[in-house]
Amino acid sequence: MNVSVQAAGSWRRILGTLALAVLLEQLPWSGWALVVRPDFVLVGVLFWALHQPARIGFATAFFLGLLADFQDGAVFGQHAIAYVIGVYLVLYLRLRLLQFDPPRQAAQMFPILLGVQLAVLLVGWLAVNPPAGLSMLIPVLGSTVLWYLVALFVRLWHGRGAQNRA
Amino acid sequence: MFARRLGPTARLMIWLLAGLSCVVIDVRYQALDGLRSGFSLLLQPVREVMRVPTDITAELTGFFTRHRLLQKERDALLAEQAQLLVRVNNASELTRENAELRALLRLRTRPGQQVVHAALLYQGHDWFAQRITLDQGGSAGLRTGLPVVDAYGLVGQVTQVYPGSSEVTLVSSPEQLTPVFVERTGQRGLAAGSGHGQMELRYMPAQTDLRPGDRLLTSGIDRVYPAGIPVATVTRVSRSQSSPYLRVDCLPQAGLDRSRGVLVLIAEPQVTVR
Repeated sequence: MNVSVQAAGSWRRILGTLALAVLLEQLPWSGWALVVRPDFVLVGVLFWALHQPARIGFATAFFLGLLADFQDGAVFGQHAIAYVIGVYLVLYLRLRLLQFDPPRQAAQMFPILLGVQLAVLLVGWLAVNPPAGLSMLIPVLGSTVLWYLVALFVRLWHGRGAQNRA
Repeated sequence: MFARRLGPTARLMIWLLAGLSCVVIDVRYQALDGLRSGFSLLLQPVREVMRVPTDITAELTGFFTRHRLLQKERDALLAEQAQLLVRVNNASELTRENAELRALLRLRTRPGQQVVHAALLYQGHDWFAQRITLDQGGSAGLRTGLPVVDAYGLVGQVTQVYPGSSEVTLVSSPEQLTPVFVERTGQRGLAAGSGHGQMELRYMPAQTDLRPGDRLLTSGIDRVYPAGIPVATVTRVSRSQSSPYLRVDCLPQAGLDRSRGVLVLIAEPQVTVR
């Protein structure tokens, strides 16, 4: 098992990846890149909620959700609520998700990511006004692809351990 | 603390409650502007840094632009310059005449326009409100309500000012209203954003003379926008049986998602009517 490996320096790794995710979102995205841009922060939070549930949970998700609200000029709380729901879903399906290989795990994550985006849509709808079209569901695809790449990377990184466990 | 950790469902409920109260406080009481400026202060330097890679890419691609292309562009620019010179002469003539007429009428001249150049710093998702962030803020003299233009027309209005940056609501944002008049006929109207980077002209009676291609300029009637800034072009006019008004779709003139540099027009402070 590589739990001990992960536990050592894990805080540094968690904060590093989350900071990287926030940085990536600050790039001046525009046009089509903005439309399909995966939600880096959401993927980061859900990833750590899956692998380190004792450390990253609702509070982190809530705070980073507020940050996402600021970025999109949205109402405060919109993304925060959605991210918290996402963390709950991941915790609920945790044991099941951990069993899958990267492509299947990404496929399982798709409905969760979609649910998070629908929560953003719903809260925004109730709080402010109807959003401009269903194009806001496109980033879910980007996020799913990003999840697949991350899961694949982790699998290759810890490849041997994972195979021995299986 | 708790002897036993709360279950995930209980914790979910607590955080959902916190989120809902955030929404209510923000929408009903607008009490979270402090948090907004906090995030702005935190992210401003990060965004400045993250803009560098894009700038470098733009520099490099610009460097390798072909010589031929540059020559062609220069020829086109020279031709345009000649045309513009004619119009400038015309305009200066008109300005002089206008000044004389105004003096005759003893009208107050328009407040001198001071301009702040600002660059696009960040663009969020345009799902609920279409906003962009500029790299100039309160320290450059910006206030909420100021009009923002680019080389082609009206971009929007400053709606949120932080010390070093500011947020602009685009004219195509839903619920953003702009008083305009039709250049060809002088008919006044109200243009509203309709999302998707489009606008519509509202409350135009069915017999109004409107054609696709008509330009809409700011009417200046609101004392917020100076008169005569191009706003949009009419793309489609359709009549419906059920409504007494025309349905007029327009396309904003400004490069809302393309222009990287914009101008903020700072007029003399005026009495605002609330």
